[in-house]
Amino acid sequence: MFQYALRRLLIAVPMLLGAMTIVFVAMRILPGDPCVAMMGDQATGGALADCTRNLGLDRPLAVQYVDYLWRSVQFDFGKSFRQGYPVSDYIGRMFPHTFVLVMASAVVAALVGIPIGIISALKRRSPLIDYPLRIIALLGLSMPVFWLGILLLIVFSLHFDLFPLIGGGDLDGVIAMIGSGEVLSYPWDFLRAVGDVLHHLVLPAFALGFTLAATVSRLSRSAMLEVISQDYIRTARAKGQRERLVVYKHALRNMMVPLLTIIGIFVAIALTGTVLTETVFTRPGLGKMLVDAIGARDYPLAQGAITVFTMIIIVVNLVVDLLYAVVDPRITFR
Amino acid sequence: MAVVRRADPVDLAGLRAAEEPRRTTRGRLRRWLPISIGLALAVTMVVVAAAAPLIAPLSPSAQFSDAVLKGPGAVDRHLLGTDEFGRDLLSRIIWGARVSLEVGLVSVAFAFALGVPLGIVAGVTGGRVEMLIMRGSDMLMAFPTLLLALIIVTALGGSLMNEMLAIGVALTPNFVRLARSLALTIREQDYILAARALGSGQVRVMARHVFPNALYALVVLATLYIATAIRTEASLSFLGLGIPPPTPSWGNILSEGRQYIKCCPWLTTFSGLAVMVAVLAFNLMGDALRDLLDPRLKGE
Repeated sequence: MFQYALRRLLIAVPMLLGAMTIVFVAMRILPGDPCVAMMGDQATGGALADCTRNLGLDRPLAVQYVDYLWRSVQFDFGKSFRQGYPVSDYIGRMFPHTFVLVMASAVVAALVGIPIGIISALKRRSPLIDYPLRIIALLGLSMPVFWLGILLLIVFSLHFDLFPLIGGGDLDGVIAMIGSGEVLSYPWDFLRAVGDVLHHLVLPAFALGFTLAATVSRLSRSAMLEVISQDYIRTARAKGQRERLVVYKHALRNMMVPLLTIIGIFVAIALTGTVLTETVFTRPGLGKMLVDAIGARDYPLAQGAITVFTMIIIVVNLVVDLLYAVVDPRITFR
Repeated sequence: MAVVRRADPVDLAGLRAAEEPRRTTRGRLRRWLPISIGLALAVTMVVVAAAAPLIAPLSPSAQFSDAVLKGPGAVDRHLLGTDEFGRDLLSRIIWGARVSLEVGLVSVAFAFALGVPLGIVAGVTGGRVEMLIMRGSDMLMAFPTLLLALIIVTALGGSLMNEMLAIGVALTPNFVRLARSLALTIREQDYILAARALGSGQVRVMARHVFPNALYALVVLATLYIATAIRTEASLSFLGLGIPPPTPSWGNILSEGRQYIKCCPWLTTFSGLAVMVAVLAFNLMGDALRDLLDPRLKGE
């Protein structure tokens, strides 16, 4: 187990390094001079040279690369061209918004996707149950999240006026109240702020959650199908155990092991989904920050956001792989 | 012992009986219906894209100042309505099919042409070459498809060619991985041993034996990734990083229409529907092809 963990960790390090190298190279070959983007076309040659020196862009590429790697490991991504303050502060402020969205959509995806997958597997080839559920899953898989988001906005925000059209609620306020202890002094204000955040969260979480539920249901269907074809299920049935007990006691528990791998895939898809979901719902978050940074040619901000996205995905996959080995001792490193 | 021997034929008969329904009309329908629907939708899309100049009622860039932001059917000549410049939405969606299909097919062909040879070389050769190829592929795999395509298209600038390249590169590691895993299985087969015994070199073994035997599964994967490529293209254009206007693509029609969802929801509704139907077509086809050709791939 220890050897497995060590080797898995050793694979994650070069992967992270490679991914960061790709980000570095991509950001360096971007069209246009960052200083021109920052200072405008009117800047004089001297000012541009000063800017280039200040940003360290006059140094050899190899030096810049090592510097970028070293700073990134310390979560120092430089200063935003547009906003002027450190990128890591900006990321720190945006991260909770994205985290809340991913978590809420995970809940939606699990609540919708897992039962659909299980029922679809247990009632396999039943034209009235399995087929409609599989069609729903396929529709969810084919429906772009930004389109579903727009449809939800048209129906629930514009037509019925039930949910806000833009924004993410005062999540910063909620976090500040928890940090300062005001949550105890003003519980009603706190609850109102939480309610507002949830109100803003419903549509984005449903849009992202539904499209993710499709993936979750397909994966849980195949996990369930694999489990119910195992010998111990046949044994349980052969000894006369009721079908309900076979499912709850044997199949469900064992199905959760392969389901664990979903988390890794899920986080990758969900993070990508936040880029689109946050843009559609004009919500603050890492995804929207990335799109805005690219639009504004704010390279440090874009570089920081992409690096953080990649780090999260690699680390989550590493943790899932390690957890997988803990839960299922038969897993060994191949 | 006698009991066991007697039990065998009974079991086999039972198995045969269980398999029987698959050959009934319902079984056949279950098998062929999804692929037929997928194929019909995909063929329709190809025809619409290829014959866009003939099918589209109007030019996608023609502006009608007397019909700005008109709803579906509000003006006779604009069946699905018009956009903020008075351009015909139906014509723009028909021309948008061209962009989506081009990106879908070319980027997947690129990923196939680059990824499959690399995967087969990795699987058959093994050793350091395999390690080098697979670690490179793992690095790219660390990025979700959209994120990687977004990075590349940002670096290169938004254009049809760059978008195809970006999505193609982003999809390549998937083909490398599948081709390698198939090659690993195929290289152990007796016919490979026989080919080697007859004096076939590495290249001949890869090209004449491994590749043809891996082709079925790879085609299934390619079909599924056409759907991914179409969705990724629409996403990039929606984010304003894909094909720049005025060239119509479903993503940029959606992106432009987003500003008018209050007054004119048809702009986003129809263009999004087009994306969904196209993605659904290739997903249906890929799924059905997978079940038909290679049931072992169900988990891929």
